[in-house]
Amino acid sequence: MAIRWSWASPRLALVPAVSVTLVAFFGAILWTIWVSFTRSRRFPEYAIDFEDLTRQYDRLFGDNAWATSLENVVILALGSGLAIVFGFILAAMIEREKRGEGFFRTLFLYPLAVSFIVTGLVWRWLFNPDLGIENFLHQLGWESADFNWLGDRRTAMYGVILASIWHGLGFYMALMLAGLKSINTEIWSAARLDGVSFWRLYAEIIIPMLKFTFLTCAILLSLGVVKTYDIVLAMTGGGPGTSTWTPAYFVVNSFQSRGNIGFASAAAVMMLVMTLVIFLPLVLITAWQARRREARVQ
Amino acid sequence: MSTQATTAATAAAGVRSKARKKKRISGSSITIMVFLTMCAAFVSVPLYVVIVTSFKTMDQIALGDVFALPTTWTIEPWITAWSEVCAGMTCEGVSHGFWTSMKILFPSLILSIGVSSVTGYALALWKIRWAGTFLFVLFLCAFVPFQIIMIPLVVLNSSIGLFGSIWAVAIVHSILAMPLLTLIFRNFYKDVPEEIVNAAIMDCGSFWRIFIEIILPMSANIMIVVLILMITTVWNDYLIGLTFGGVGTQPMTVILANTVITSFGAVKYNVDMAAALLTAIPPLVVYFALGKFFVQGITAGAIKG
Repeated sequence: MAIRWSWASPRLALVPAVSVTLVAFFGAILWTIWVSFTRSRRFPEYAIDFEDLTRQYDRLFGDNAWATSLENVVILALGSGLAIVFGFILAAMIEREKRGEGFFRTLFLYPLAVSFIVTGLVWRWLFNPDLGIENFLHQLGWESADFNWLGDRRTAMYGVILASIWHGLGFYMALMLAGLKSINTEIWSAARLDGVSFWRLYAEIIIPMLKFTFLTCAILLSLGVVKTYDIVLAMTGGGPGTSTWTPAYFVVNSFQSRGNIGFASAAAVMMLVMTLVIFLPLVLITAWQARRREARVQ
Repeated sequence: MSTQATTAATAAAGVRSKARKKKRISGSSITIMVFLTMCAAFVSVPLYVVIVTSFKTMDQIALGDVFALPTTWTIEPWITAWSEVCAGMTCEGVSHGFWTSMKILFPSLILSIGVSSVTGYALALWKIRWAGTFLFVLFLCAFVPFQIIMIPLVVLNSSIGLFGSIWAVAIVHSILAMPLLTLIFRNFYKDVPEEIVNAAIMDCGSFWRIFIEIILPMSANIMIVVLILMITTVWNDYLIGLTFGGVGTQPMTVILANTVITSFGAVKYNVDMAAALLTAIPPLVVYFALGKFFVQGITAGAIKG
């Protein structure tokens, strides 16, 4: 009896997790894909629209706001990529200097505890043209200073990027710091004995050794960028016009404001495709790393 | 005499060059400190400005110097933000959102941690043939963007009549957190020595008894890490609260956004900033109190996921 229970209990314990995976993840993803091929509007319809199967997708790619969203994802990814670069520089400096490590680490990481909504609102206040930093610069005498980025279609996205960097900088610094600490200490002293110059040490030894950390950071950043929603809402509300829309914003907007489930589903499916494209290399890398680790053990 | 002089000179030169070398090292270290301090300023200036603004009077804000300290400190904006400010139609401050967020937080924590710790334990320590496959599936699920499952979950929630309640928000939070938390728990439990489990099974310990009497007491560390991860995610979430919460069950972030973005009439920036700070304080307290675990939680969430 006891043996039978020890066979059954762990499987029973897994029932909630398995059913959540099947219903809320698999089922829901299939549902969204299915509905994206129907003519659903405010309420879901389940009859696939065979006359014009890709109706929602055609509309989606004909939509200017969607084109802007895709463009913005790329801009945002490239721009907030600076967070990785600065994160690495900061981590290298903190690691080298050692003095005040705890202090700087704590300071750089705190924005991560703040929600995107608060981050967005705070930066919106700093960008305020009448009372924010622009006004401050004008009062200093720099009359031509233009810091009203959020008010201009061409620069609004840079404002969002700046706020994202502020929010994510510490995170990438922490990941890089962990990577730097895992480097064998002998390498540092060996390099010093050989008289390898500072720049060559980093460019030719340290950065190549950290390539997996960099890749992980890049993938995490891209996945985050695809999901960018709250910070845009809080900073610009998508505006001016639709200039700061992102795919995630587009999906929520089509669903909540336009009330068009089929259309929103098609956009959501495209988000899933983007995630898969970014995600696939990560799976391969993890698999490869695991195999390499096993090989080393043997 | 002359040789002595030259040796003295070379010695002096040696000393000088050594000194210069030392100076150069400290020079680079000064550069590093300056750069670090500049970045530190970039990171801390927004917080400073928000705190300062929230204590200013609107008269002073209208003068426009964002970086100045308040001439007269006032806590009026904080009181207004907490209990009087209007979000859309209702004017009861962000306090209502604060309590809603609390009511969402606790069921989410209990549900998600309960399910994931048991699942992680079962997958790590009991022989289940398909454990590897399931873990890989969970790994994939952990990265699924919320938008792709949002609409069907809304339909599902309204068909069982949960939509708009606190439970709907809490359940969706738990669903979304389950894959990642399970992976974290599984990675922690797989390092438990097999001998302990085998001995426990020999002792006629059942699945649940082993979990409660042996495994749970060992998991204090990982529990703290997961708790921090969950508290910050749930508290800082906006989209789930907005989509699944109804009138009166929307969390603090949603109330805050409504207050600031859709406010009518004269904008009170000091009240807005006080409301933003009130929303940011709980996760910041968690962060500054448990910083070390916070870093662990974030990196565990990032890498092991």
